[in-house]
Amino acid sequence: MRIRVKFFAYFREIFGGREKDVVLPEGSTVGDLLDDVCNTAKRRAEVFKGRALKPLVIAMKNGTSINSLDGLETTLEDDDIIAVFPFVAGG
Amino acid sequence: MSDISRYGYHGKILEVDLSAGRIEEKPLDPELVRDYLGGRGLATRLFYDRVEPACDPLGPDNILVIATSPLIGTNAPTSCRGHMVFKSPLTGVIGTSNSGGTWANAFKASGFDALILKGSSRVPVMLDIKPGQAELLPAGHVWGKDIHETTEALSAGAEPGKPVKVLCIGPAGENLVRIAAVANDYNRVYGRCGPGAVLGGKKLKAVRVSGKQKIEIKDRELYQSGLDQALYLMKQAPVTKRLLRELGTAGLVELIHLISMLPHRNFQDCSHRDEDVERVSGETLAKTLLERAGGCFLCPIGCQRHTAVPGRDGKDEKGEGPEYETTVLMGPLCDIYDLEAITRANYRSNELGLDTMSFGGTMACAMELFERGLLTSEDTGGLDFSFGNADVLEAAVRMTALREGIGDLLAEGSFRLAASRGRPEYSMTIKKLEIPAYDPRASFTQALGYMTSPSGACHLRGGYAVSLAFFGGTKEIPRYSLLQSPIAIRNMQNLGILQDSLGVCRFTGYAFSTDPWARMASGATGGDFSVTRLEEIANRVAALERMFNVEAGATAADDDLPARFSDVPIIVEGKERRVSRDDQERMRQDYYGIRRWDERGRPSRELIDSLNIRRRKP
Repeated sequence: MRIRVKFFAYFREIFGGREKDVVLPEGSTVGDLLDDVCNTAKRRAEVFKGRALKPLVIAMKNGTSINSLDGLETTLEDDDIIAVFPFVAGG
Repeated sequence: MSDISRYGYHGKILEVDLSAGRIEEKPLDPELVRDYLGGRGLATRLFYDRVEPACDPLGPDNILVIATSPLIGTNAPTSCRGHMVFKSPLTGVIGTSNSGGTWANAFKASGFDALILKGSSRVPVMLDIKPGQAELLPAGHVWGKDIHETTEALSAGAEPGKPVKVLCIGPAGENLVRIAAVANDYNRVYGRCGPGAVLGGKKLKAVRVSGKQKIEIKDRELYQSGLDQALYLMKQAPVTKRLLRELGTAGLVELIHLISMLPHRNFQDCSHRDEDVERVSGETLAKTLLERAGGCFLCPIGCQRHTAVPGRDGKDEKGEGPEYETTVLMGPLCDIYDLEAITRANYRSNELGLDTMSFGGTMACAMELFERGLLTSEDTGGLDFSFGNADVLEAAVRMTALREGIGDLLAEGSFRLAASRGRPEYSMTIKKLEIPAYDPRASFTQALGYMTSPSGACHLRGGYAVSLAFFGGTKEIPRYSLLQSPIAIRNMQNLGILQDSLGVCRFTGYAFSTDPWARMASGATGGDFSVTRLEEIANRVAALERMFNVEAGATAADDDLPARFSDVPIIVEGKERRVSRDDQERMRQDYYGIRRWDERGRPSRELIDSLNIRRRKP
């Protein structure tokens, strides 16, 4: 299945672009996807703390925080859009 | 309390009666400091004690108080913010507005903790404050001048080594535009609720301050421990460490769109094309118009956007902005995705002294009325007020500030504009204050924050709940939890009251909460401002703001959302989302209960007594 990952803020520099399409086997999870895109030590260090997401890193599946789903175990389906970004504030 | 004429405060307030031309220096009551701290809390108490709730906001009986905090004058991060409290000519309830810059520090360095303005002058005047000396001076020579011209004219001729700082209104305030702002440092703005019109009604063009009076810190070790902790945490958190400097507040634009919360066409929906949103994003701003980031006094965060746009004469025009709110409310809310046009309209608003947020909300309302045929080309003097017409923005700002043509109606704000056409339901306001750039249907917590904000729909006074929408999850506060929203928003509102009363920036809240502030405030003053005491102060200030609103005639019926938000859904994550009237009522009653207000939203007698709030003298 094909998943689109979108990056925001300084994650665009770290991941070298605004978005990326990733092909994964059926049944893959958000954790599997992030393992796949964090293919350098620097990328991994920005996103993960051990096996969990770093505090203040947000991952959303189709606009919903994965915290409201099954976290990194959230399963993916074809054409899902996953957004990954550091917590941003404003107003 | 320790000696409040020395530690954290000067122990002096300045009370100016513009009708009588009388200036009095008065002692600051130590009990007020103990119970209300400073900034918003202190200003609210000083205001409440003097104002007649039924007064005409634009008349001589309105009172406008500007207060500083015990941390202003120290080196605490972001401790530069002044706070104004007044009766709002836009809403009729409490007006409460906050700004960074350098004016508040300079005012405190002139030897005073707060300034009380009452009465009205017959002719334009300005107030000149120096240590041990304050006088009213004629201001006819700057009346009619814009914010930048006035600031320059009144800063000129300062003695070397004795710089002056200017707080002033522009033509919008002079013309009693109900959405007029007050500015300091050229582009730092007390924007919301129309404080510019209050000063315009008093014919007070400017307050110029200078001085070098210092405060002392009582317990240096305690203060320093809080300061060290605060600075350490600000360097750790991505938001305060780098994100706001890199992207400004408009770094949120794409993300708020991602979670279907970015309002469109006067809150008719939250649907935008990704490529349109990208054109007005913080990233695009950083790559195109941004010249440099900047910061307020003592701010390590640096969210200011110093920008340039191509001018009509071929030379670049320079200014500040736009922020997130301005970008969205003058942009996508009006179906406009032209960053240069938004930036120019922002520049004009800063010069003429308009609140960019209320202007954007009013403009979007005008565009919807135009689309529905309720406002015609005849009304607009031939201008095309269609959604998406970026060319009309700059002209509309100017006409509003000068009350020219259709601008005379826009100057009244969105509610009075829509009501003048017999259709107030097209005004997206709460308590007549234009709603910020987060759609309340996308987060119950944000919706309740807007509903219960003392000043009407304000994301800063009502509680900034957007962060919760990002995190979601059972460990935090789900976006649509009726159960958790009331307590969550009360906590956020209380943190905001404390930040406003300490004279510090909301954005520090993305690095740390109350504890470092408790140590800094207690260390600076020698008073007991523990976390528990600060929480008590926040509850006291919230109750007092509400007491004023009740006395000014506000009821629980004013704590609601426009019908559009209960009747017309937006689509979030594929589901229809609205905030039904039943859901509003349930959250409202839970919130009142948590605040210990009665079912009609009035602070209970027991609460008032337990918080030791002195009632108005009969």
